Parts: sequence; C-alpha cells; structure tokens
Amino acid sequence: MGLMFAGSRAWGQKELRVAAAADLQPVMPVLSQAYEHATGVKLVVSFGSSSTLATQILGGAPMDIFLGADFTYPEKIVAAGLADGSAPTAYAKGKLVLWARKDSGLLPLSIERLTDPRVKTVAIANELHAPYGRAAADALRKMKMYDAVSPHFVVGENIAQAAQFVESGNAQLGLISLTAASTDHFKEIGTYVLVPTSQYSEIRQCAVVMKNSDRRADAHAFLDWLLSPAVQENWAKVGLAAVR
Amino acid sequence: MDFEALWLTLRLAVGTTAILLVMALPLAWWIASGRGAGRALVQAVVALPLVLPPTVLGFYLLVALGPLSAPGRLLVRVLGHPLAFSFAGLLVGSVLYSLPFAVQPLVAGFSAVDGAYVEAAAGLGASPWRTFWSVVLPLTRGSLLTSAVLTFTHTVGEFGVVLMLGGNIPGATQTLSIALYDRVQEFNYAAANRTALALVAVSLAALLLIYSQRGGLRRGDLV
Repeated sequence: MGLMFAGSRAWGQKELRVAAAADLQPVMPVLSQAYEHATGVKLVVSFGSSSTLATQILGGAPMDIFLGADFTYPEKIVAAGLADGSAPTAYAKGKLVLWARKDSGLLPLSIERLTDPRVKTVAIANELHAPYGRAAADALRKMKMYDAVSPHFVVGENIAQAAQFVESGNAQLGLISLTAASTDHFKEIGTYVLVPTSQYSEIRQCAVVMKNSDRRADAHAFLDWLLSPAVQENWAKVGLAAVR
Repeated sequence: MDFEALWLTLRLAVGTTAILLVMALPLAWWIASGRGAGRALVQAVVALPLVLPPTVLGFYLLVALGPLSAPGRLLVRVLGHPLAFSFAGLLVGSVLYSLPFAVQPLVAGFSAVDGAYVEAAAGLGASPWRTFWSVVLPLTRGSLLTSAVLTFTHTVGEFGVVLMLGGNIPGATQTLSIALYDRVQEFNYAAANRTALALVAVSLAALLLIYSQRGGLRRGDLV
C-alpha cells in the first residue's frame, strides 16, 4: 500500500534531509516508516561513507541532519562551525561482526577462521577513513591477527560496499556491521559471529543538526526521537545498541 | 606522490591499449568496410560503454561474472581466483570501458579512406591483408594515434569500474584515481592535490600529442 504513494508528495508534507552513514542503509527504511507514521515528516535520506558525507556537508551540501558512524566526522562539522550545538550527540553504538556465506565452506564460523589457510579474501571497510574499517583493523591488531590477515584484505570504500563484496561471494569472509548482518537477506544466506567488543574501541555513532538548516526544529525533534526509549530499546532489532 | 599507484595505473593503461589495438583494428575495419543491420548493431553495442555509467559495468563484472554465476565459476577455474580484486579483472573492465574510444576513431579513419585506393591495390593483386597493412593503415596513421592515446588516457582516468571491482589493493588494484579518492576521504588535501595534478598533466600531454598532428595525411598528399 505504501508503495502506491511512494514518490508522491502530500501537499505541504514536511521533509527532512538526512545524511546517513553507510551502515544505516538497512536501518533507515525502518526508521523512516515509523517516523513518518508517528509525525507525518518524511525523511529524505542520502547514504554514503561518513567521510564523503562530511566532505560534502563541509562543501555546502543542503542537509538538515548528519547521522555519522562515529564521533570524528560529525566533530569536523562542529569544528567548522556548521553544527547547531557545541558537540556531536551519540545516538547509537555500532557492532562489528565476522560474516560468511553459508556456502563458503568456512562454517562453523569463528574468529579463528580469519587465519584459516583456505581464506584468500577478507572484505573490510577502508581502515583509514571508515569507522567500521578502523574498528575492524584495531580488533585484528589487538587479537594479533593483523599481519596474517591484512594481505588478504579487499577494501570497500564504505562498510556497505565491504558487505556487498562478501555477500556476492567475491570475498570469502567479511568484517561488516551488525546492521547489515541482521537483515533478513544476510541472515538467510550467511551466518556471523560478533567480534568481541573488548577488542575494539566502541563505535559510537554520533549526529549533528546543521546550523544553517531551515528545518532545525524538525531535525532536533527527529534526533530527540532517536534518543527516546521507544527507539533506543529497539535498536538491537536492527543491529545497533542503545547509547544509554 | 603515490608511485605504486602511478606505476599500476600506467601498466593498466598500456595493457588496455595494447589489447584494444589488437581487438579494435579488425573490428573497426569490418565495420567501416560495409553496411547493414549487423554492422549497425555491432556499432551500437561497441558504443554502449560511452553511455553506460562505469558503475554499471563494474556492477555486472562483479555480480554477473562473480563466483556465484556460471561464467564466474568458469573464470575461477581458469584464473584460480574470481575476476574481482585482481589486475586481470581490471584489465577486462578497462577493455570493455574503453572499447568505443579505441574503435570509433579507427572507424572514422577507415571510412575516410578513398575506396579507389583499396580497389587499385586489389586490382594490382594485393591480398586484403596486404591492402590493409600497406595501403589503409599508412593512410590512417592519425586515427591510429588518436585511438591509442584516447584509450590510454581514458584508462588512466577510470574510476567507477575500478571502485566497483577493485577492492583497493595497493600494487594490484589501487589506481591513481582511487588513491586520489582515498586521500580526499582522509581529508589529506595536500596529497590529493599532488595526485590530481599528476593526472591532469598526463591527460594534457596526451591531448597535446593528438592535437599537434597536422590533421593527418590528406588524400592528395599520398605520394
């Protein structure tokens, strides 16, 4: 039913332009539906790597709110004086998993599989600029596996591309976000194990509302909604964790 | 300056140009030497990469030729690994991506050759092969140069295909344009600038090479 009206804009319907990090790709449709149902405000979402989104916002991209995958990129917006507020606001915690297709021949899956001699390709997001990539590289270093695994890295520009590499069978293993691994599709075709959270610094996903947005009030309302118990208590369903 | 990425990019560009010259010469000659629906279809297919977003090409190579597909599995048997994330994969992508840049200047050049010369050569007993090498090619040197240089520079500038298919592996698939993108993502604008300038310099040099030809041989200047 919703599909019939998709794309048609109710006259005077309010819209909010959201810049959302790549790990939120499976999450935003769920959120958008719930939020529009609750408030009538339509979320118009642009996905990208946190880094690309930050660069574009700094270059003047007309966003109302930026949902990043870490603290550093929203902080750049604050530092540039473009944020409405003195600091980014954490809205969720991200989790890193090791994922493999069921037909990969690498089941039962465990963290040790990363150093299995049969494994030639491990998908990872770019560790230099992607928050989940950074976390994955840190975890590998802490588990003393980095030198053994890094020659097999195939690097995605963002965490969604890394997930796509392993989902399409082009990479044998993938260090991806729990948000991707929690989708019906990924659960159907593969399995995952959580990378122990003790092995990497917390992925603290933060948001900023844009100072120059003419919908600041709506953007703050959306952020408050994200921080409300109704959403925080249900984050686990989409592969995120509550911030409080 | 990322020398590994520069070297890789040059190898990719030279490899693609070499493969495409071998493929494009007979193809362009066949297109130019006749007419009909078959040729029109072939020309349309050859021109496809001009209008298709490079990401579409990369996507099909990644998924349609990935290990989950039948052709992909064959490739894994032949190459020992999937097409993606390898220099071989990039070569395949680049060849498809630059195909129109190699073929079209040649078709234009061959079409402009006066049929009288070809007939005269045949009348003097030259085989089609000899006619092609000794009469047609010398007359179309300009088109050959244009074809080679355009293919080379187009490959140097390739981004979408490599982004979809490459996996950003230094020394194997991290080309200059990907390296540039990475530096921007890291907010390292100084390094990004150096890489971008290198790319501009290569492209400008190539274009100068094409434009400094004095219009190629004119038909009256044959002797």
